[in-house]
Amino acid sequence: MGDHLEIIKSAVISGKHAEIKALVQSAIDAGLDPNRIINEALIPAMDVVGKDFGSGKIFVPEMLVSAVTMKAGVDIVKPLLAGGQSRSYGTVIMATVKGDLHDIGKNLVTMMLEGAGFKVVDLGVDLDVQKLIEQVKAIRPDILGLSALLTTTMPEMQKVIGELKAQGLRDKFKVIVGGAPVDRTFAEKIGADGYGANAAEAVQLARRLTETKG
Amino acid sequence: MKLNSHTLVMSAMFGGRRGLRPPVGNPTSIACHGLMERAGVFFPEAHLNSDAMAELALAGHEVVGFDTVMPEYSVVQEAAALGARVDWGDWDKMPDVREFPNADFSDIVIPSDFLEKPSCRVLLDALSILRRHVGGRVAIIGKVMGPWTMSYHMVGTQNFLLAVGMGESDKVTKMLRQLMPITVAFINAQFAAGADIVVLADHATRNLVGPYHYEQYLLPIHQEIMAQVGGPIILHVCGNCSDRLELFAQSGVDAYHFEWQVDSKEAVRRIGDKVSLCGNVNNPQALLQGTPEEVYKQARYAIESGVHLIGPECAIPLATPIENLKAIVEAARQGY
Repeated sequence: MGDHLEIIKSAVISGKHAEIKALVQSAIDAGLDPNRIINEALIPAMDVVGKDFGSGKIFVPEMLVSAVTMKAGVDIVKPLLAGGQSRSYGTVIMATVKGDLHDIGKNLVTMMLEGAGFKVVDLGVDLDVQKLIEQVKAIRPDILGLSALLTTTMPEMQKVIGELKAQGLRDKFKVIVGGAPVDRTFAEKIGADGYGANAAEAVQLARRLTETKG
Repeated sequence: MKLNSHTLVMSAMFGGRRGLRPPVGNPTSIACHGLMERAGVFFPEAHLNSDAMAELALAGHEVVGFDTVMPEYSVVQEAAALGARVDWGDWDKMPDVREFPNADFSDIVIPSDFLEKPSCRVLLDALSILRRHVGGRVAIIGKVMGPWTMSYHMVGTQNFLLAVGMGESDKVTKMLRQLMPITVAFINAQFAAGADIVVLADHATRNLVGPYHYEQYLLPIHQEIMAQVGGPIILHVCGNCSDRLELFAQSGVDAYHFEWQVDSKEAVRRIGDKVSLCGNVNNPQALLQGTPEEVYKQARYAIESGVHLIGPECAIPLATPIENLKAIVEAARQGY
């Protein structure tokens, strides 16, 4: 049993995207609990990938392949979980702010949050503040994740938070921010609840924030 | 040496004789709302009309006091000429590519009149206008995208990097080699139109790819580009590229434009004898959100580190206050 989990974990870490479905299927056929495949192989693999990314051992190309590999594994396992869904850790809205069309960071965070058991609503890129507010009101997420790649667009994050305050929505959920030019100081300055330097940190942050929320 | 902006910049490009102060330059855009208001020219007109483009570039010299003028404020001129659908934005929004025409890695078709496409012609004309106005007095900088950045625009960044991650090296190399002639042709056309220096922006940044990706895919191409172009080149790669400085120095470029995340003392120590260094005042914290005093301190640190051409680390946020840009000039006026 342990072998299956180790093999799957290692396949995700090394991005064996062509082999992952067969490996997961073989673990299921051997009678392995689907929850264990997610919680003891697929998610821990992405934790390792996230750490390797954080330390500069690997970069976005390898991380993308690992994320695609993980997702292919999750897609096989999910339908087998009780009720067709694993326990949801909460709902996250993800968006790249207005004026910014860059979405790799957001997509990686989205894939990893989904793998980690969150329900994610990806609103896409170049998101107008008013449209974002409408969606937030309709979906009522636990967390709003904002991404910006450009120094030219990162001030939009502040505008979003300002508008949430103006409409009395700011305290209803947590706001987390990320993207290449963003850092902890900026996140604190604009009044965000948290900052993740990479996708793995974003997942840890989301877990922490939803736990503290109770 | 006659000490005007042009000679200060050109001498710094080759680590040559110093004047009384270091030159201040912008290999990437310093267009901001304040500068647009002072020039009476706004986005998107400044991307699309050569007179407006040149007018805004001149404001960087006349209003702020930079020693260079650089009239390209976007990164999508080539992609637009290749048929990518471009949103030219507005006064508060930079242009960007909306759809990737070669997302399936289909062959790039270079139009025979590529340099005459409006988005290329406008920049060439703006360079010629600047030449007529300030040639020989102020250093005129052009800008092109390298094949790596153009691949992001034509294929889509995620598609392109996924192919890199999956080890599809033939596909990746073919795309880069198809795009390389565009970079070479546009560089040479910009020199012919009046540029003193051309910036080669190719975003193989640490935020996305590793030094081994650069070495495998892009270094040989940059070396070929350098063998085919006829003037001084500044390489611009943003992000923390401390892990690949020596590779950039091997590319054959004359200068490297770098970000605040790379310590300027370290950059000068490691590659300052092989290429000139340009930069590296922080954009988000110092220029956008900081005070003129903070900007001044950072610029002084870069000068005292031995950075050859002092300026912002990358294209500045549009809301950057002009006073903060002026603080870089003030720091340079204090001399070495």
